[in-house]
Amino acid sequence: MTASPVPLVAPWRIGVDVGGTFTDMVLRDARGAVRIFKAPSVPADPSEGVLGVLRLAAQQLDLPLSALLRDCALFVHGSTVATNTILEKKGAKVGLLTTAGFRDSLEIRRGIRENQWDHRAPFPEVLAPRYLRLPVRGRIGADGRELAPLVAGDVDAAAKVFAEEGVESVAVCLFNSFLDGAHERTAGAQLSRSWKGKWISLSSEVMPTMGEYERSSTAVVNAYIAPKVTSYLSALDQQLRQLGLPRSLLLLQSNGGAVSVDQVASRPVMLVLSGPAAGVGALKSCAAPGEAPNLISMEIGGTSCDVMVMAKGQVPVADELVIDGYHLTTPSVEIHTVGAGGGAIAWVDDAGLLHVGPQGAGARPGPAAYGLGGENPTVTDAQLVLGRLRPGPLAGGVRLDGKLARQAVETKLARPLGLSVEGAAAGVIRLLEQNLLHAVERLSIERGHNPATFTLVAAGGAGPMHGAEVARALGCKRALLPRAAGAFCALGMLQSDVRQDYMHVFLADLDTVDRASLEAGFAQLEARARDALGREGFANGSAALSREVDLRYDGQQWPVRVALGAGFDATAARQAFEAEHQRLFGHIQPGGKLGITALRVVGRGLLEWTTPAVPSPEASAPRAHERRKVWIDAKHGWHDVPVYEGAALRPGCRLDGPLLIEERTTTAFVGPRDQLEVDLRSDFLVHVGAIA
Amino acid sequence: MTELDPVTLALVQNRLDHISHQMGWVMTRTARSPIFSQSHDFSCFLADAHGILISQADGIPIHTGGGGFAVRAILRDFKDATSSPGIWPEDVFLLNDPYTAGGNHLPDWVIARPVFVAGKLIAFACNRAHQADIGGGAAGTYNSAATEIFHEGIRLPVLKLIERGRTRDDLWRLLMINTRLPEALDGDLRAMIGSTRIGAERLAALVEELGVERAPDFFEGVLAHADRRFRGCIARLAKGVWRAEEPVDNDCFEPIDGKVAVTLTVKDDGLIVDFAGTSPQLRGFKNSSIANSTSAVFMALSSFFEPDLPKNEGAFRGVDIRLPEGTMVNARAPAPMTMNTVFIAHEIIHALWKALDQALPERASAGWSKAVHAVTAGVKDDGSRYVMYQWAGAPAGGGVEGRDGFHLIGHLITLGGLTLPNLETYEQLYPVRFHRQELRCDSAGPGRFRGGAGCDYEVEIFTPADYAFRGEGVGAPSSFGAAGGRAGVGGEVTLTLADGRKINAPKYGVQRHGHGTYRALSPGGGGFGDPRTRDPARVLRDVRDGVVSAAAAERDYAVAIAKDGRAIDEVLTAGLRAAVE
Repeated sequence: MTASPVPLVAPWRIGVDVGGTFTDMVLRDARGAVRIFKAPSVPADPSEGVLGVLRLAAQQLDLPLSALLRDCALFVHGSTVATNTILEKKGAKVGLLTTAGFRDSLEIRRGIRENQWDHRAPFPEVLAPRYLRLPVRGRIGADGRELAPLVAGDVDAAAKVFAEEGVESVAVCLFNSFLDGAHERTAGAQLSRSWKGKWISLSSEVMPTMGEYERSSTAVVNAYIAPKVTSYLSALDQQLRQLGLPRSLLLLQSNGGAVSVDQVASRPVMLVLSGPAAGVGALKSCAAPGEAPNLISMEIGGTSCDVMVMAKGQVPVADELVIDGYHLTTPSVEIHTVGAGGGAIAWVDDAGLLHVGPQGAGARPGPAAYGLGGENPTVTDAQLVLGRLRPGPLAGGVRLDGKLARQAVETKLARPLGLSVEGAAAGVIRLLEQNLLHAVERLSIERGHNPATFTLVAAGGAGPMHGAEVARALGCKRALLPRAAGAFCALGMLQSDVRQDYMHVFLADLDTVDRASLEAGFAQLEARARDALGREGFANGSAALSREVDLRYDGQQWPVRVALGAGFDATAARQAFEAEHQRLFGHIQPGGKLGITALRVVGRGLLEWTTPAVPSPEASAPRAHERRKVWIDAKHGWHDVPVYEGAALRPGCRLDGPLLIEERTTTAFVGPRDQLEVDLRSDFLVHVGAIA
Repeated sequence: MTELDPVTLALVQNRLDHISHQMGWVMTRTARSPIFSQSHDFSCFLADAHGILISQADGIPIHTGGGGFAVRAILRDFKDATSSPGIWPEDVFLLNDPYTAGGNHLPDWVIARPVFVAGKLIAFACNRAHQADIGGGAAGTYNSAATEIFHEGIRLPVLKLIERGRTRDDLWRLLMINTRLPEALDGDLRAMIGSTRIGAERLAALVEELGVERAPDFFEGVLAHADRRFRGCIARLAKGVWRAEEPVDNDCFEPIDGKVAVTLTVKDDGLIVDFAGTSPQLRGFKNSSIANSTSAVFMALSSFFEPDLPKNEGAFRGVDIRLPEGTMVNARAPAPMTMNTVFIAHEIIHALWKALDQALPERASAGWSKAVHAVTAGVKDDGSRYVMYQWAGAPAGGGVEGRDGFHLIGHLITLGGLTLPNLETYEQLYPVRFHRQELRCDSAGPGRFRGGAGCDYEVEIFTPADYAFRGEGVGAPSSFGAAGGRAGVGGEVTLTLADGRKINAPKYGVQRHGHGTYRALSPGGGGFGDPRTRDPARVLRDVRDGVVSAAAAERDYAVAIAKDGRAIDEVLTAGLRAAVE
């Protein structure tokens, strides 16, 4: 895309998403004009990648960097620093205070194995070794009352060991503290007197959920990443402020909402899904304000595909997240990830069967076509062989070499399978699309949705190539291929509200619950939410609080979360629960005893909605800039296909497939019986099977 | 058979596995009883028109490859439409009997739905799942006092539960009056039936795409691929005859001197797994059926090799299993057998692992220890009954090359698939207070990769309760060492009553006691490799962690720990290790 001659109008918003290979930046100005920039990530120091993309943008916009930042009203950042600290095992040396008798919950891990057949694989390293998990006497009972007082001397003894061992960060997780955090607070205060370190994470403050394993695991991961993540983010924030950014940057959290550096400093564990969770904002931007759409997104990058379901405008947030084998109970948007991306490796097993993924070639060496030494054929190589990708330079500075792609497909796949090179490449695409289909079916079946009634949003750099075909297999009528597919999450960051989730365990019968204590419970959570939002500058009309309860049938393990309206109405809550239970589990127990297990408050700081500016419709029909021989699908084989430049396709334009669209960050493919419509937001909407 | 297109074959393989997964997701989502959704004690599978298992992608490991016996029993009883009601579209079959209907044990019920395309029987979509209660002598399906299968619950031959789309209400009522938990059984059966409907629809769609004439060729292609992959595994085993035994020290009533004996013959073209020499069938309920013993053999073989091996029956074409009649691994009716999916399965897997260990030592797996947990049942203050499994005091896993055994991981037959409860949650559900759940020092079997530690578990139970003891892991060590490693220590279960009286729990049996404190020391897993070759840094870490004592480090691992307990005494250790060589 050539730089638009129209000057930007201040103020603007900036979203920056750090990926494994590229750091993406999206800028949207006061009139809604959108610009996208991509620069290489710098894994050793991600802030270098952030500054790099800002400098690149300033240069291309012909602005001083200080001016670019000075006129930025909102800067939202998706950072991988929390995730990478865990994946690379670069966190702090952690000590844990536990209730005497329970120092091993963290290491027992409830015996949860991700793949039981893979029993030769060890568990991930426990983040607080047993010799640094130290017992403290004292006990809160199952009714929340104190059974035995906390023994302060035990805390001091532990503090001494932590000092001797060079512990950098301490987590405190005491038995039953989800009912009353008093012992944890006392222990924390005592510790801050007798131990010199400054990082202390209390499980009842990080996330006061029931269940000693997950709560301690969450507190320990928080303690593990806090020193590194918090200092990194504060430094980046300061640097940007010095360069001219007028207000603190916001970080995207796992719950899909944003938060300031200050407020996330004590709970950086909330940032583990920062990045992919921006898909929520991105999906919102696929609909008109106030619309509550049914969308399923597949965000396909180099190595993996993230699937998300938005039903009636909502993406479910659950207290459940697994990162590298560590269990967290932080509020997180539901994302199902599979190893299927443009870099997924195709291989033939020792008994002659073709597979695609889950292993990927990564950014280096990447697909064989990158010419960086990769010999394994990937999906990208197959696309080149099939004429769907153009050889030559890609956004971000890589070149695709068609010969290398062909060679890899031929030696590693076509010959062993006894197929033509094209036949093998087509097989790779069919298997990949089958994997994608299965991933979408899994999440939708598990959540009780019929995917055929949804619009499939195919994003990520590799998404628009597969969106129409996967939508067809799902029975969807429409596939949406965002024009900015390759910077989808960065785009979503511009549309993410500020959000903080608060909960506490509250055990009562729904029908006989004491209204006053219920009200007091909510009021306490709301006061915290209001205070947090106030400190971010949201009050009155721009601060929205909503109440939710967790409900479950007597004896049931998993509660269902239900939104409450203004005022508490047990009958309405039961009805909402039953509707949700029916959808999720296929049955209800009419009149069954319902228990409340938790109260929740979601605080949102509402950002003003900016509508993207849309180019005016073109009077004349667009012209293809070339025609290419392209493999369509198993049924249609090879066809001469028109290729359009994305910029030439304007809102209102309708074209019949098959065709290819080359955009700056992606290539989109529209099938032979599909019709392309450029919609009002200027995205590519495919009407699947619309041509008889 | 003409040459199959390799791309289509790969697509068919994935699609079949996806269909059996989908059936599992539907089951988990719609079932009533937590046995399905939490313990995942079920499996979903697809069989071809001959009853050969073509896909089993989801499910508890001890169900591996056993579903074909059930489908072949259906074909045997119903295929001939002149002498039987026949098999028709929209029929659904139900069975559980291990002696007459290809069942594994009575609590696992099989629902099977024939799949027809263009009027032709092409396949079956099935599931097998543990029911909450099926009558018999004890609530919850496990009657440890059983001496005949009649004491264990209702026996179902192959029944047509739904006839051409119409549910047989008479039969349904028969089932419902034979359970203590009709609501759970009703809900779970509907979930099973719904899941096979989804499976059958998806499978029919696949067959239509492939063509009804062509589809069986692709099913055969999938089986043949699995066969080739497993023969690749067999080729890694040393040729020869390998013998092993696993002791069985009780018959659920009193001590016996029994064993599961196996002779593994590794040939160029396959394996013979012969259980000749195994003890006669038992008085108590650990006897195995053909389906269960076959699954245990398949599970032992699959878990020995790669995790991604296909779990269809093609994989085991090269395996000839011989189960002598009248022994513990293939009992004659009416021997009781409800416990067999856990115990005797554990012994079968151990015996076969020991034989495999000899044929491919670097892949050896040390033994997992056996469970000791009791089940406690009583009445809460509000008058409601509760049944509490004390399985948070779980047994441990064994070591393998490259990793230590898992601490208190649970039954071998789930390979860790069972999730232990959070004790905080259990304090909300039951009238109990937990005192301890911690790793047990020096319980783990020594090894270069040590066994997992058992646990020290203690819980105070405030109400009078029936304690159903199941102490296979009590007493002698129940794991074993591999490649020079050693077994972990045995387990111990005691009950201390409010008046201070201490009771040593029996291996089996039900006792009623008042307010008391139950303590289980669960047994440790076996170690892999000579412990005196364990990396001293790992030994030090174990000592610092209190999983291994300094004395044991010196005795078992030939590593001396410095006085302050924080470092290795290099000089002494060098001496100890030199003495070993």
